[in-house]
Amino acid sequence: MKIKLQREALLRPLQSVIGVVERRQTLPVLGNILIVADDNGMTLTATDLEVELVAQTTPEITEPGQITVPARKLMDIVRNLPEGAEVAVSVDGDQAVIRAERSRFTLATLPATEFPTVEDIGETRPLVLPQRDFRELIEKTHFAMALQDVRYYLNGLLLELEPGKLRAVATDGHRLALGELEGEVTAEQLQQVIVPRKGVQELLRLLDDADDQVRVELGGNHIRVSLAGLRFTSKLIDGRFPDYQRVIPTVDDRVMEAEREPLRQALVRASILSNEKYRGVRFNLGENELRIQSNNPEHEQADEELTVTYGAEAMEIGFNASYLLDALHAVDGDQVRMGLVDSSSSTIIEDVNDRRYRYVVMPMRL
Amino acid sequence: MTATVRKIIHVDMDAFYASVEQRDDPALRGLPVLVGGSPQGRGVVAAASYEARRFGIHSAMPAARAVRLCPDAVFMRPRFEVYRAVSREIRAILAEYTDLVEPLSLDEAYLDVTETPGFDGSATRIAAALRRAIRERTGLTASAGVSYNKFLAKQASDLEKPDGLAVIPPDQGEAFVAALPVGRFHGVGRATEARMQALGIHTGADLRRWDLADLQQAFGKRAPFYYGIARGVDERPVQPVRERKSVGAENTFPRDLAARADMRAALEPLAAKVAAGLAAKQLQARTLTLKVKYADFELITRRRTSRMAIREAEDMMPVLDVLLEETDVRRRAVRLLGVIAAGLEARETTEAGHQMAFW
Repeated sequence: MKIKLQREALLRPLQSVIGVVERRQTLPVLGNILIVADDNGMTLTATDLEVELVAQTTPEITEPGQITVPARKLMDIVRNLPEGAEVAVSVDGDQAVIRAERSRFTLATLPATEFPTVEDIGETRPLVLPQRDFRELIEKTHFAMALQDVRYYLNGLLLELEPGKLRAVATDGHRLALGELEGEVTAEQLQQVIVPRKGVQELLRLLDDADDQVRVELGGNHIRVSLAGLRFTSKLIDGRFPDYQRVIPTVDDRVMEAEREPLRQALVRASILSNEKYRGVRFNLGENELRIQSNNPEHEQADEELTVTYGAEAMEIGFNASYLLDALHAVDGDQVRMGLVDSSSSTIIEDVNDRRYRYVVMPMRL
Repeated sequence: MTATVRKIIHVDMDAFYASVEQRDDPALRGLPVLVGGSPQGRGVVAAASYEARRFGIHSAMPAARAVRLCPDAVFMRPRFEVYRAVSREIRAILAEYTDLVEPLSLDEAYLDVTETPGFDGSATRIAAALRRAIRERTGLTASAGVSYNKFLAKQASDLEKPDGLAVIPPDQGEAFVAALPVGRFHGVGRATEARMQALGIHTGADLRRWDLADLQQAFGKRAPFYYGIARGVDERPVQPVRERKSVGAENTFPRDLAARADMRAALEPLAAKVAAGLAAKQLQARTLTLKVKYADFELITRRRTSRMAIREAEDMMPVLDVLLEETDVRRRAVRLLGVIAAGLEARETTEAGHQMAFW
């Protein structure tokens, strides 16, 4: 293999894939990056066996070939070369040689055949949607995923396809986030996949707030997302996501509407004096008035009053302030609506003018 | 610290499980009886009658090996329900002598009889009376040790076993310990014994030559205990109620369960029972253990520790579901399921609230 390219043309794809290279690998080859140079140009591939990233670049190829080299060392070398330098990569025996200006590096290699890649992910019907929308869908739901829960199927994001709709749902069993995208979704029947946490986080890193289209493919065991110059593939979690519809309450009487920002700020202040571990706050709802109270084991106390729109029966309910703040943070609009049932049932939070995103929180017993 | 010398009794039932079996089946009397797991499998001896002990068999020995030592031994499956019932009877008897009874297991307990009236103030007479009461009311024999602290009382109960009574009076405690090989000290395990031997500590007298600092260096936080017992000193009080370490419930099914749905259905009432147990004691748990006994009696456990406090059956079921997944129940039928909540903490400490869950 013999190629030549500008430092930046190598650095950029390297930076986009390096994130999945684990610092401590189970297999030595997973610490390497696969470089393939052929008629289609050049690809750089990194994997941790769960998530695979392939980045493309276009070097001047004098001799095609493929090899794997230590990912972080290559990255550090390229990053520290002078800007605009021309970089030559070649393979000499079982070593890779990197040359740039008056620098020369020889790196240990492992054969490309040892590098595990995911080629075909099975029959899929691709979904094409604006990158910005897809990013927003994930960004506004992913925070509710569980973290190392024994119910492994909660440690990921549910993507659900139904005709005309792409839905994302995340829950840790205590709160839930749901988002919907309407678009040209040609699903014949309901299709559900669970993308593992690591894949979700990597996707968020890759997706931009840009107008161009991304292509999403769902295979039996993988999800693949292709965007300009980059291909993301992640294994799926094999499990059944719980019936989330069941926990979303339908509320018509006990509805409170409030300005989002003042409510958020009051919650932030009240949570300062809540129990650090449980972050419990108490809501007291009366006619057009909301009182938020908290106290901690040191018997310190916070008391907040807010004017809201509420006309139903007075009620009291406890919440983990963090869950409410996460939801309020994800909402864009100025006005939020909270639909309550009682002090031991789930509460729904949504933007008054945008019901594509909904957040459901279970209360705390205080 | 009170200046009065305490009067402590250690009561130890003789070959308890085996004796209950011999009591209930006269045909077994005089025979070497072993209670425990199957000698064909990987079972161990839970109890051996004194007839069996003559062949060198002792508890915790693999059953298969016990059979090689004594091919004529009679093997009995344990009947824990019966042993528990007998144990309750014995505890009721002990409670007649003092409120300060600390059960160590089904067949062993400490009593502090310092304040017990009558018996001419003699702990030895109390021990004799309660041994008689146990024999008359349960048909079983117990050995007892009498001394001025728990360590020596327990050592004493070994001296005249079975069916015996031994006393180590205050003025003989130090001499008794001095002559005792460290391997026979209760509270010195096999590993510690080996370390002590390596350090030239063979008897209580050897141990006594070590000062606290050196012991600390060699044995860490157990050092004060060793330092004390080498001098016949053990200040540990008799604690009537031992702190609860777990709350559990289990069920052996009349017929083995093979279907997952049946197992899940069987776990629900167990989880509810554990939840009720936690609620009754105002406790919550961090760790949940699933106990599974397969049809072939192999017993396994799977456990998880959760970041959230576990209080209700609803908190337990999803965890139990996952734990069940980690067992062999897809391929093997199950005769017993159990749920154990551990890592207990008082609910008051987390008054700030209990986060409710969807599922």
